[in-house]
Amino acid sequence: MTQNYFEIFNVPMQFKIDLNRLQQSYRIIQAEIHPDKFVSASQIEKNESLKKSTEVNDAYQTLKNPIKRARYLIKINLNSEENNSTLPPSFLIQQMEWEEHLESISEQKSELEKFQLLIDGEYQKNLNSLESVCDKDKNWDIAMEMLNEIQFIDKLNSRIIQQINLVESK
Amino acid sequence: MALLQISEPGKSTMPHEHRLAVGIDLGTTNSLIASVISGAVSILEQGNKERLLPSVVHYSSSNPLVGSEAKNLQIKDPTNTISSVKRLIGKNLSDIDTKFYSLDLKDDDGVIGIQTDQGIKNPVEVSSEILKKLKETAEKSLGNELYGAVITVPAYFDDAQRQATKDSAKLAGINVLRLINEPTAAAVAYGLDQNKEGNFVIFDLGGGTFDVSILNLSKGIFEVQATHGDANLGGDDYDQVVFEWLCKSNKINVTDSKIKQKLFALSREIKEALTDKDSIKINEIVNEKINIQCELSQHEFEEITKELTKKTISSTLHALRDAELSVSQIQGVVMVGGSTRMLCIQNAVKEFFKQPLLNNLNPDEVVALGAAQQANILAGNTNDNLLLLDVIPLSLGIETMGEIVERIIPRNSTLPVSLGQEFTTYKDGQTAMIVHVVQGERDLVKDCRSLAKFTLKGIPPLIAGVAKILVTFQVDADGLLSVSAKELSTGIQSKIEVKPSYGLSDEKIKQMLEDSFNLADEDKESRALSEAKTEALQLCEMVENAIKKDSNLLNKKELNLLQKNLIELRKLLDSSDRDNIERTTKLLNDNSQSFAAKRMDRSIHKALTGKSVGSLEI
Repeated sequence: MTQNYFEIFNVPMQFKIDLNRLQQSYRIIQAEIHPDKFVSASQIEKNESLKKSTEVNDAYQTLKNPIKRARYLIKINLNSEENNSTLPPSFLIQQMEWEEHLESISEQKSELEKFQLLIDGEYQKNLNSLESVCDKDKNWDIAMEMLNEIQFIDKLNSRIIQQINLVESK
Repeated sequence: MALLQISEPGKSTMPHEHRLAVGIDLGTTNSLIASVISGAVSILEQGNKERLLPSVVHYSSSNPLVGSEAKNLQIKDPTNTISSVKRLIGKNLSDIDTKFYSLDLKDDDGVIGIQTDQGIKNPVEVSSEILKKLKETAEKSLGNELYGAVITVPAYFDDAQRQATKDSAKLAGINVLRLINEPTAAAVAYGLDQNKEGNFVIFDLGGGTFDVSILNLSKGIFEVQATHGDANLGGDDYDQVVFEWLCKSNKINVTDSKIKQKLFALSREIKEALTDKDSIKINEIVNEKINIQCELSQHEFEEITKELTKKTISSTLHALRDAELSVSQIQGVVMVGGSTRMLCIQNAVKEFFKQPLLNNLNPDEVVALGAAQQANILAGNTNDNLLLLDVIPLSLGIETMGEIVERIIPRNSTLPVSLGQEFTTYKDGQTAMIVHVVQGERDLVKDCRSLAKFTLKGIPPLIAGVAKILVTFQVDADGLLSVSAKELSTGIQSKIEVKPSYGLSDEKIKQMLEDSFNLADEDKESRALSEAKTEALQLCEMVENAIKKDSNLLNKKELNLLQKNLIELRKLLDSSDRDNIERTTKLLNDNSQSFAAKRMDRSIHKALTGKSVGSLEI
């Protein structure tokens, strides 16, 4: 497939995409090529269906997830996968504060949940800014910088959720 | 035969008669088989009119006994009677606690061996006996040869357990249309039954395993959002708690394995009685020394099993978080598995989701019913548009320096999925390396399940760090892993050999198969010839149909080449020259690969534009 992921699903090549439409296209395509449709077919078609279906799953997962979608979009536009940007000092300080906070509340479920809401808010806020940098300004270097911050916030978020699961199962 | 055969590209090579396709729920305690007969799905009864086949195999004479007959010998002859083999399948001896088994277990070349009077049996063989019996049931009651089966496995089964299950089907002579997850099968049964849409939770508590899956249903598409569970939590654990309570409250200390078995059976009866009673009085004389007299109330039962129930709810919460859904976004909760009959489970789940539960289909049968519906669709017996998009339940990773796991395919990725990873050599002239694949969510190798060590051989000798080996991990729609490798810097691709090292090897399976057929050499040859001819014929029909429909995707040279191959292969079909048939089949196969790819791209394009512009297509 020489198409890029946006072309596969017939959605515009930008950060803000219609997730419903993406899902619909995805399902239409899988209904056509999924290995379940080729159970009694020849080996050649089975192989091809496995290959295509895998590719379409990968493309879908990439576009569905905002972080992966942004990374992919930046890669296409910058024509490289290199990531030289560093996090600004102000963010590093913020980062340390969050880390310390997580440490101090690691056993308190209600505090963890509160913190998770806060971080989730940060995540949403940053995604909104990223959208405008990608779709309006088309400044891919800045987009890359922002993406690194968002990625940190996302990882922090899943660590908090993991911690909540852990406290709960005790 | 019709003069003109026009069929959808690839979907079926020719119109066919109704194919006998079944769904099999290969359970820890009981197994079931179901089929769609004239549009209605039903459980096929065993010879004795029972709907459930106890998953028990007894080996004391050359013909093993399966089902009730075997179960009846459980207490009399425990070492030759194998039950709950599902707990052993796809595992090593070191994975299990042998003291819980009354069987004589040993290591048999990497897999578990069970010593019986009929020699050492491995779990794949034992499972295949159960499957053979079910196959027999189907063919007897439907009077036709079995075309294929959908077999269900717990969502939480890892790669080795899935592979072993598929191997036992092969050994039983069953064509596996697909392995599907038990909760997904249950969702099919409910979804098709009631035309539901939205997010559904499937809560599946069986005898030995617990799974919870969250699915989104929309217009015949079942997309699994997340799955979670515990491969070692089930009704048996509730029996164990009641057993401990019995011993404690009657101050008895059991060492004798037969008495233990008796008390376990009693514990199960108590648990089952409590599904429709508030309280139960127990008055049982076990032997001259042990006389049990006590009472267990529903409330007390709920108390003593509280920790187990809590585990199921915590798993459920986990799955919801993975799916990024909240309780209020759930449209229905489906209860599956005999153990969901326990009131304490029903109450806990109802309370958690704050809604009534869906349990109008028999929880013991719903998995087999769903599997049968899926089998009917996969076999091409119906035009129902249904598609299951399932996920990989556990992350796949590889071992890196310091015994740390590097995750390559995260859990809950939609199947099929693949990922490539580059490796390099660390010594000059190195020609081989080992890739250790593990499955699980923990960071250290020792905390994950070791799946396989793949040996890559035939790497071209280069200076350390120059060779670039791209290893591709592919998980197919059955949830099974395969690994391939190629060397990038020199372009040497196919020479790198990948050898898995778990479970039964292909040769061993082949050996077991041949032993079971007990074929003479000439029979083997005629079997192989007939297989080669079938494959060749299928390929010819596929390519001919494809040319009829999409010849404009080919240039003249490509078309001529394919037609030449076709004529040659068609001619050979009348001969008995197996080598030549196989060689020409491979040639046609290779030459039509890119044609197949182009056709699939075209069908994607058609589907997308067709749907978005409405029915403007001519």
